[in-house]
Amino acid sequence: MKKQSAGRIVLEVVMVILSLLFLYPLFLTLINSLKSFAELMTDVIALPKHLAFDNYSYVWKYINYPRLFLNNAIVTLLGLAGIIFVSSIGAYKLARTKSKWSALIYFLCIMPMLIPFQSIMLTVLQMAKHLHLSESDWGLGLMYWGFGAPLAMFIYHGFVKSIPKEIDESAVIDGASGFRLFFSVIFPLLKSVTTTVIIIDVMWIWNDFLLPLLMVNGSPSTKTLTLAAYTFVGQYTSDWQYAMTAMVMAVLPSIIVFILLQKYIVKGVVAGAVKG
Amino acid sequence: MRKMGRKWTEKLEFGLFTLPVLICVAVIFYVPFVMTIRYSLTKWNGISKHPKFIGLDNFKQIFTGDTNFSSAAWFTIKYAVLYIVIINVLAILLAVILDMKLKTSAWLRAAFFIPYILSLVIVGFIWKFIFMQGFESLGDSTGWKMFDLSWLGEPGLAFISILAVSIWQSIGFYMVIYIAGLQNVPDDLKEAARVDGAGPVRRFFSITLPLLAPSVTISVFMALTNSIKVFDVILSLTGGGPGGTTYSVAYDIYRDTFQDNLYGYGTAKALILFVAVLIITILQLTIFKRREVEA
Repeated sequence: MKKQSAGRIVLEVVMVILSLLFLYPLFLTLINSLKSFAELMTDVIALPKHLAFDNYSYVWKYINYPRLFLNNAIVTLLGLAGIIFVSSIGAYKLARTKSKWSALIYFLCIMPMLIPFQSIMLTVLQMAKHLHLSESDWGLGLMYWGFGAPLAMFIYHGFVKSIPKEIDESAVIDGASGFRLFFSVIFPLLKSVTTTVIIIDVMWIWNDFLLPLLMVNGSPSTKTLTLAAYTFVGQYTSDWQYAMTAMVMAVLPSIIVFILLQKYIVKGVVAGAVKG
Repeated sequence: MRKMGRKWTEKLEFGLFTLPVLICVAVIFYVPFVMTIRYSLTKWNGISKHPKFIGLDNFKQIFTGDTNFSSAAWFTIKYAVLYIVIINVLAILLAVILDMKLKTSAWLRAAFFIPYILSLVIVGFIWKFIFMQGFESLGDSTGWKMFDLSWLGEPGLAFISILAVSIWQSIGFYMVIYIAGLQNVPDDLKEAARVDGAGPVRRFFSITLPLLAPSVTISVFMALTNSIKVFDVILSLTGGGPGGTTYSVAYDIYRDTFQDNLYGYGTAKALILFVAVLIITILQLTIFKRREVEA
């Protein structure tokens, strides 16, 4: 018994050391974002002697951080709202209707999960240009409605089937129907899966790269956070301290949100994977 | 008469609820997909007004005379196989350790999960910095030969770097799936085996692992779909280099379409990627579904 607990302590210590090594690259990024160029070039792993916060004010202004943040927020929120709206009503109706048509439509909605983005990226981009959705954050957000729908449909559809039909019927007797029935009675019952959809899609849209690169890379005023960090590093290949500052500014929002909502995020990610 | 009316409102409601999602999916996936098939049969640089129809010539050339494509395909296959195997083995190992209810389990889970919430392009840049600048300092202070190697400058090492960085970024995701799976393995089964005299290794292989099969199916599936489309991390870490040795299929398609403006040719490759993904996915799902054990 005693031997086992000693083994556990060793294991515990080894794992903690391992986890710190695992996060060491992020730590190095942080400390080097606070060094001057000369200091960074002499020694990367040493702690900064004095904190060069002016790196941050420089990059903040240069890439117009508040604007990028706003762009990211617009794209993510617009995309998310649309995905939830079209998928929840669609999945609800399809799960409640038993017919050949319903089955076919459902199949058509989830099938695209098998289409890799790279297989259609050129033609998607051309269509976006045709519909005047490109070079605009609103347009980009709208595009996610389609890209996010298959997985969200799949998750909602599976869950709606577990809600007893009697709930709909009693609401109909009370005089509710159509969208009112859905939004006042059914939608609140979908809360847990809606949370899952939100977590998966926010992580995906917030960090997405290739679609924004193709859609909104033309002007600094439409760029997203990741995109701006990408172009910024391209311009400052040797000024590593600025590059690292941009990296920290790009990842910090995600890390803060993760620390605050860790439990929900992990749960949502697992639920999404297990159902999807 | 009233019945007819009700039927109509029902149909109208069905349309109102399902049409929005149908339109979104059609616009984003089906229309572009049909256009992709059409373009793949043409020669087009995107500038001339009309694509020129050339039948299956693009496909013929891809399969017979395109060394870019064959080396990218080979890279992607090697990458996918190693990624799937390594990440699942490591994730199961981590999950089993964290499932032992260590005092620091919560911290460990968070620590290993954090890179997964970061954008892959950013992760690629961070590691580029580590490989190019950080390793120099680490080599100076530790004297280890390993840090002096050119991790992004030599084809073989660059491949390993890409693989390692991808695993670093996503291992937390697979780990939490396995942790969730382990929580579904009934403790009394493990206890019964312990009473029967099975050691920890034996218990793992004959009880835990078979019951973990659904999680393995999910994880291998996710690892496969993610690795076959690998792109972002290569773009920012090596940019396809050194000497074009680290192009994946997805990156090769990107290069053809958006850097070389070979619209017809690039979409033909894109179509091949789609068919490959489709076949592999179906194969994998049927094989694994057959193997799963009921708990």
